[in-house]
Amino acid sequence: MAQLFHRGANNVAKASLVIAVLLGGVAFYVYTQVARSSYLTNQFLEKQQPVQFSHKHHTGDDGIDCRYCHTSVETSYSAGIPPTQTCMNCHNQLWADSPYLEPVRASFRDNKPIEWERVHDLPEYAYFNHSIHVAKGVGCSTCHGQIDNMPAVYQESSLQMEWCLSCHRNPEAFIRPQSEIYNQEWDGNDLTVEQRQQLKADYKIRSTQMLTSCSTCHR
Amino acid sequence: MLTSNFKVQNPKPLISNRAIFCLLLLAAYSLLSLGCRYDMQDQPRYKAFKKNDFFADNKAMRELPEGTVARGYLRENKAFYQGKKENAGSNNATAATAAVAATTTDASGNTVVTSFPDAIEKNPVPVTQELLDRGEQRYKVFCIVCHGPVGSGDGMVVRRGYPKPPTYHDDRLRGAPDGHFFDVITNGWGKMNSYGSQIPAADRWAIVAYIRALQISQNPNGNVQMTQNNAGNAVNQTTPSNSATTQNQNTGGQNR
Ligand code: HEC
Ligand code: HEC
Ligand code: HEC
Ligand code: HEC
Ligand code: HEC
Ligand code: HEC
Repeated sequence: MAQLFHRGANNVAKASLVIAVLLGGVAFYVYTQVARSSYLTNQFLEKQQPVQFSHKHHTGDDGIDCRYCHTSVETSYSAGIPPTQTCMNCHNQLWADSPYLEPVRASFRDNKPIEWERVHDLPEYAYFNHSIHVAKGVGCSTCHGQIDNMPAVYQESSLQMEWCLSCHRNPEAFIRPQSEIYNQEWDGNDLTVEQRQQLKADYKIRSTQMLTSCSTCHR
Repeated sequence: MLTSNFKVQNPKPLISNRAIFCLLLLAAYSLLSLGCRYDMQDQPRYKAFKKNDFFADNKAMRELPEGTVARGYLRENKAFYQGKKENAGSNNATAATAAVAATTTDASGNTVVTSFPDAIEKNPVPVTQELLDRGEQRYKVFCIVCHGPVGSGDGMVVRRGYPKPPTYHDDRLRGAPDGHFFDVITNGWGKMNSYGSQIPAADRWAIVAYIRALQISQNPNGNVQMTQNNAGNAVNQTTPSNSATTQNQNTGGQNR
């Protein structure tokens, strides 16, 4: 019987080993990139909201403080989404006939909440808490980007575990003085290394080991 | 020869039926684990602001049934939670003893209330530097958009067309008792909506103290309610932080 494989097959076999490893590597790399892509993390994705509410108008142009609407951000895990009543504080008089605000008025009339689309949504096996971050000097814009420039909110950060950890490993690189928490234009380069270390000590931020222990966020 | 040849050319199938079965089982199991992942992401419990179709209004966050009070929220302290005198209001005072608020009519024909007999005169919270700082911060969050940085009624939202609120710096509001300001924040006043649900009572008193400080800062030589019975001290007080010290003297210095 003729030979099944000719001689060159030996080389092909050897090369295929290398190629298999390479292909495996490429596949793994593609996987990591896909897993981090905005397709899976919903990063930078604007959602269609029932009301075209614009943070750019309300906070950027009119200077309304975040806490006017997100009242529980300093005291609770959730920042809070304002009830329709809060919108009516101003819109009972202002733009009271605007068609853009009809869903707001309808919600107020019928006592039915406006159903906003969630933009940021961690999986429920992860625990997050706003109040501690705000109290320990992490400003809104560090995580959410410049909300006061966004006509429609999008998710500025990936919200993946590696993103949380990149700060929990080294929080002093991201913290700011308490007076600047709501400053959306704050630039981290204004502080020197010593000032950062001082801030970290003032805030009594705990050790990296504690902040990166699994049970901090998976509880 | 032939037969043995056949034996060589017809080996066992590369993958046996058993192996195929095992692979399929494995695939089925990995599908199962996909399902698990989904469950862990969206667990059958309700986080704040989630939708719940079980209730008619679709809110997972339930409100108190009407006419009930949660444990520990009875709020009997009328001065602190309502800014009203103990005997004020319909449930305590009889029609004869209930004080009537005086009103006048302003230039444009609107009725203006000028006396506030039910409201308590003094802030029930001791006025300290911390209270004023807190009040300043909260004022800048909730009030500055309409009432403006010093309370003259020229905030950003007013410039965009909201009705102009009155300035804090006229005799009527300078003379008004602390309890009136608290009442305005808690229950609203005319066109202004209630801020009671957005601001807890302690913060409302902090804001009241800060408004008093603003009034002094805009009218250093005048007679503002906060220092009424000790007006001599208020003279020459020009900055809010100074007025805190004044108030400390008024309250017997207990907060030093
Ligand atoms: C006038 C009220 C108001 C003010 C002031 C306001 N917000 Fe919002 N915010 C809303 C409403 C309503 C939504 C929900 C609709 C949406 O996502 O656009 C929202 C949504 C958000 C979200 C996205 C929530 C999600 O769905 O994941 C973020 C983040 C946010 N706000 C941050 C801020 C920050 C930071 C500030 C201060 C600079 C601020 N907001 C000021 C009303 C307000
Ligand atoms: C403190 C006052 C204030 C509050 C509270 C407020 N708004 Fe507004 N809103 C404004 C002002 C002022 C404008 C005009 C913006 C501009 O032109 O800069 C506006 C404009 C708008 C518009 C555009 C209207 C049009 O016809 O162009 C929408 C939509 C809107 N607001 C929705 C909301 C919603 C929803 C809420 C509640 C979450 C809300 N607003 C709460 C002050 C407020
Ligand atoms: C450490 C990062 C971080 C900081 C700082 C931060 N946020 Fe968030 N924010 C998040 C994450 C993560 C979520 C998604 C939470 C979830 O899905 O449970 C979120 C969600 C929100 C939401 C949606 C409602 C909710 O609570 O789930 C609002 C509104 C919001 N943030 C506003 C703010 C405001 C205003 C500030 C500044 C005072 C702020 N955030 C600061 C990370 C942050
Ligand atoms: C920009 C920096 C930063 C980012 C991003 C960040 N954190 Fe934090 N986190 C902090 C700081 C600072 C503290 C306070 C540490 C302390 O009190 O010692 C903290 C504390 C916490 C705590 C409280 C720990 C405890 O024991 O009470 C939790 C939970 C937490 N973070 C979860 C998260 C999650 C989940 C994410 C990602 C979605 C995240 N954090 C992203 C800076 C950050
Ligand atoms: C700073 C907070 C934080 C800490 C500390 C943390 N995690 Fe996470 N983890 C998260 C968040 C947030 C997610 C969700 C990420 C996402 O949405 O993709 C997550 C997701 C995961 C997942 C699921 C990944 C997936 O794609 O299904 C696993 C497994 C996990 N973490 C394990 C761990 C282990 C093990 C540790 C301890 C070594 C740990 N985590 C520590 C925040 C944290
Ligand atoms: C959306 C704009 C707006 C905001 C925000 C607002 N106010 Fe007003 N306020 C008004 C208007 C308008 C009036 C005039 C009401 C009337 O006479 O019909 C008023 C009136 C008042 C008065 C005078 C009452 C009287 O006796 O005439 C006081 C005191 C007052 N506000 C305090 C506050 C405080 C304190 C805050 C912050 C917690 C606040 N307001 C926030 C619009 C606002």
